[in-house]
Amino acid sequence: MFFLHNLERRVTLHPSYFGRNMHELVTTKLVKDVEGTCAGDYYIIAIMDTFDVSEGRILPGSGLAEFTVGYRAVVWRPFKGEVIDAIVDTVNPHGFFAQAGPLRLFVSSHLMPDEIRYDASATPAQFTNDADIVIEHGTHVRVKIIGLRTEVGEMWAIGSINGDFLGCLQP
Amino acid sequence: MASSAPFQFAGDSESEDDSFNPAPADLSDDENDATTDRATAKSDRRASSPTADNELNDDDEDDERPSKSASKPSRDDEEEEENADEEEEDGDDGKNGDDEEDEEEEEEEDEDEDDEDVHRHRRKRRKDHRAAFFDIEAEVEDEDEAEDEEKDGEEIEDFIDNAHPDDIAESGHLDDDRRHRELDRRRELEASMDAEKQAEILRARYGKRAPARGYGEMAVVPKRLLLPSVDDPGIWAVRCKEGKERDVVFSIMRRIEERAGTKDEVPITAAFERGGPNSVMKGYIYVEARRQNDIMIALDGVLDVYPRTKMILVELKDMPDLLRVTKTPNLEPGAWVRLKKPAKHAGDLAQVLDVTENGLEARVRFIPRLDYGVRDETSTAAAAGKRKRPGMPGPRPPQRLFSEVEARKRNPRQLQGNPQTNTWTYMGEDFENGFQVKDIKIQQLEVKNVNPTLEEVTKFASGSEDGTENLDLKALAASLKDGSTNVTYVPGDVIEVYQGEQRGVVGKAINVQNDIVTLRVTEGELAGQTIEVPNKGLRKRFKAGDHVKVIGGSRFRDEVGMVVKIVDDRITLLTDQTNTEITVFSKDLREASDIGGQGSLGQYSLLDLVQLDPTTVGCIVKVDRESMVVLDQNGDTRQVMPSQIANKLPKRKTAVAADRNGSEIRLDDVVREYGGQQRQGKIIHIHRSFIFLHSHATTENAGVFVTRAGNVTTIAAKGGRSTNPNSGPDLSTMNPALKRNPAANNNAMQPPKTFGRDRALGQTISIRKGGYKGLMGIVKDTTDTHARVELHGKNKIVTVPKADLIFKDKVTGKTIDIYSRSGRGGFGAPGSGGYGDRPGSRTPMGANGGERTPAWGAPKSIARTPAWGRGETSGSRTPAWGDGSRTVNPYDGSRTAYGDGNRTAYGGATSYGGGSRTPAWSSSAKTPAHDGFGHGSKTPAYGAGAGSIGSTDPWGSKTPAYGASAPTPGASGPSDSWGYTPGPSGGGSSSSHHHPYDAPTPGGAGFGAPTPAPLNAPTPGGAYSAPTPAAISAPTPGAWQGGWGSAADAAPTPAVGAPTPGASGGGYYGAPTPAAYGGAPETPAASGEIRYADDD
Repeated sequence: MFFLHNLERRVTLHPSYFGRNMHELVTTKLVKDVEGTCAGDYYIIAIMDTFDVSEGRILPGSGLAEFTVGYRAVVWRPFKGEVIDAIVDTVNPHGFFAQAGPLRLFVSSHLMPDEIRYDASATPAQFTNDADIVIEHGTHVRVKIIGLRTEVGEMWAIGSINGDFLGCLQP
Repeated sequence: MASSAPFQFAGDSESEDDSFNPAPADLSDDENDATTDRATAKSDRRASSPTADNELNDDDEDDERPSKSASKPSRDDEEEEENADEEEEDGDDGKNGDDEEDEEEEEEEDEDEDDEDVHRHRRKRRKDHRAAFFDIEAEVEDEDEAEDEEKDGEEIEDFIDNAHPDDIAESGHLDDDRRHRELDRRRELEASMDAEKQAEILRARYGKRAPARGYGEMAVVPKRLLLPSVDDPGIWAVRCKEGKERDVVFSIMRRIEERAGTKDEVPITAAFERGGPNSVMKGYIYVEARRQNDIMIALDGVLDVYPRTKMILVELKDMPDLLRVTKTPNLEPGAWVRLKKPAKHAGDLAQVLDVTENGLEARVRFIPRLDYGVRDETSTAAAAGKRKRPGMPGPRPPQRLFSEVEARKRNPRQLQGNPQTNTWTYMGEDFENGFQVKDIKIQQLEVKNVNPTLEEVTKFASGSEDGTENLDLKALAASLKDGSTNVTYVPGDVIEVYQGEQRGVVGKAINVQNDIVTLRVTEGELAGQTIEVPNKGLRKRFKAGDHVKVIGGSRFRDEVGMVVKIVDDRITLLTDQTNTEITVFSKDLREASDIGGQGSLGQYSLLDLVQLDPTTVGCIVKVDRESMVVLDQNGDTRQVMPSQIANKLPKRKTAVAADRNGSEIRLDDVVREYGGQQRQGKIIHIHRSFIFLHSHATTENAGVFVTRAGNVTTIAAKGGRSTNPNSGPDLSTMNPALKRNPAANNNAMQPPKTFGRDRALGQTISIRKGGYKGLMGIVKDTTDTHARVELHGKNKIVTVPKADLIFKDKVTGKTIDIYSRSGRGGFGAPGSGGYGDRPGSRTPMGANGGERTPAWGAPKSIARTPAWGRGETSGSRTPAWGDGSRTVNPYDGSRTAYGDGNRTAYGGATSYGGGSRTPAWSSSAKTPAHDGFGHGSKTPAYGAGAGSIGSTDPWGSKTPAYGASAPTPGASGPSDSWGYTPGPSGGGSSSSHHHPYDAPTPGGAGFGAPTPAPLNAPTPGGAYSAPTPAAISAPTPGAWQGGWGSAADAAPTPAVGAPTPGASGGGYYGAPTPAAYGGAPETPAASGEIRYADDD
């Protein structure tokens, strides 16, 4: 789910950039550092604006200036039970990996409808029910997240396509 | 357990029941009579209606009902209890009706015996009363035990059913003799009736009640009623051959069948055995009979049993224990056991291959401990004659898989076998695939608490033929499970009760004390309550998606993963580390904290680079409990113990390698294999020429693979380098704009490349570095970076980096700078390659022609151009000089372009709006304005760059300021006729805002066009200043407008051009220029033409 989230971050700036447009640079640096990262259990998608750049403090020793910047960002947090669309990445006999934006998720073969089975002979390998459903590399799937793991700088989910309206999205 | 109570003896057992049931009733003294009467009546009745099978059962009931009701009015407490029990039994009775019928059918056959029994019975019962005390005690004592036998089966139920009529009769008898007599009378009456009639009566009386009996099923059968009393037949233990217990019992059964109905029927009531490998009762069979002598008769002549040896009478109180069901651990193929017996192998782990049919022996395989006769020889030599002591002679040889080679070497005669199947017989032992295979008695196996360690098990696993790991998790888990039933629960575990009264309750453990777990129920009706449940019927509960850690004894211990599937207490999870699925028991799991657990063993963790030996490094791809799997630099995986690792190699963040294209690759770069499988991955380690890559596409080796650095191509560079120059400055390091020497920092600032012949060629030099330091020589040949120098001193040509050369004047020996502009018409510093490829820059050049032109001569004849007069301290760099060379000299064209490139470096890659900038550069350089900047070349360049790309560049803020220099050409106009050239092109540069690439070409074209003109026209003409600009400016705008049609572009050019047309006078310039332009703009070929034209 997407949220607008007020966040704060400390940004350091090299002394050689001190000058009139320092705040701009701080913002630039903030965007560069933060956008597209995973902050624990959510991803920071985009920074809307910075609303508060504090006065800089010179860090003893390095001479860098540290600014505390408050900013507003669009963040995305996947939840257990959330249904999201993803693109299949790799398929192996145990299941398939899919990518939902920055989130990598795995759908185990146990978590697929029974009639879907792994077909290794197809190229590329696929999950199929021998009818309309074919899940292979690049397929768009709708997945329900059943488990989430968060690590430093990474998130990781297990999904299920066992349910109504889940699974292969018809193009 | 094999109870073999043959059906033929059911009659007996019934009578046994009769005697059995009265036991509780010994409260009454008068009971005897009644029972006796009843028994007699019963046998009479049976005699009279031998075929009334169906009725019989009901008949019994029929009997009891009235008596029961009769007893009701005056019951003491005990009776009440009994009655309650009996009612329940009624229910059972109904349930088992069918079975009983069958059995009773056969009972009939034994009627004769019944009579006998009854008499005996009576005698015993009398004794009973005298010994009432003992009976009561026995009952009480046995109460609990009896419960176990509750479900023991039909036989016992049968007991009950047949039992209660008597009981009730007796209880009735207790309070009123009269009633009994009445009952007896009635019974006699009924017994005399026709069976069918009886059945009818019964049906009428009880038929409707049938359904209600179903309720009885739930009732508890009073166990004490089932227990044997002294009235029952005794049980004797009879010696037999060990292991033949079952066979003996079967042969007894056969004998009974054979003799049934004959005069010498087997006079025993039951025979059974409690043998088994681990039983203490092995070597005996148990026979139930009235007299010891009966047993003698029954067993006479049966094989393997020894009735003549002392028989042991089983005490009454021990009888129930005899039939207690004990679960024998049943061995299944694949299970792990430990050997007890061959002393050499005591304690060794073995795997069950097969279990023999009689369950006494198991075929196991284990790792042999062979010394291939090494010690035999020595021991025989040492202790000849002395008999070897059995047991453990000296240290036992280590476990090693059987080696055919060694066996053949030592004892070829003892060896036979088949190399194809890899089965051998050596010294009388069998070996398969290196394992010793042997049939071993189960007694000699340790079946419980095996607890195989991972190391032991892996020995077996690795020994499999195809090398695949064939660990049977199920068997392993089973052998681990029985050993450690003590599942530990900790507060916080979510627990489900799956057995017992609280079944289905789910809660969270809040306290655990010994075997009692206190739960706070979280679901269902009991939610919120706290209950205490025994450890036994509990299991941990997980949901799909839970993040769990394996804690138990399985080999997956410490794996962390997410639950994907749950079947009963088996849970499949997807591990975090390797993305593989494993299945474990829920008892071995625990909710994991979110931070992944495993992945490290001591100081080594997953994906670390470790040194295996001085020449081998490897990347850890799997970490187990005790060992880890390492992928070494050759792509092989091996399992190593931490102790086998020399040391861990720290991650070198700065490590750099070159891919096959020579581009640098660093950690975290994404590269793809060239050729082969074209695997793609992120670099996690660079070690010498090997790089370890990690990819998500495969789970093999945790996605890690190794390849050579020279075998990959870069897909995306990430590590520490900014791949996108437009992403802005790196704000955490020093501002590049403030650096002293920008060129040193930025590739785009490289000096321009020189064209044509390297001016170093033929120069006299001295070498200032290296082994040839101080020597002088002549440059014979050069590359971009190196020069081949013919030394003066030796007759030898050496290769020296150009940077190490000092150029000397041939004559004076003074140090000179050959690249300085004064040296040769104003060249920039030697450049690095690449620029020369640009067609635009070349177009105008015509290198040789340029040199020949008078204009080129300008540097030397200062007088010719007015501009020269303005020459500043360094004549070569004065704008004036620039004029001359630029317009006419192809070198100029090229140089300007490069100058632009250099100076616009801040702008980044787009600096190649070269053509457009060229004029800009030239303009400012030449113009007086330029002087104002102090920095001869730099400033204008900067401005130019700004002009061309400033609109998008954050650093462009300064450009407008420099853009102001654009007018300067105008200013320069008066001073120098050439000044116009920049003018038009300046326009071009401004246009380049929109089309950075379009812009340069016209610029180049602009040069292309005029070049011939100045060459031919002005110089000879002498009217130098006037015509030349005209020639240049006139065509350029024209071409500009025509070619690009941009009004914005066009605007400035005519303005500039305006003065020139008049001056140009000669229209003949008009013709060539457009032509040149038309051909030239973007095609090198076209420009080539021009150049050649010049040359000629």
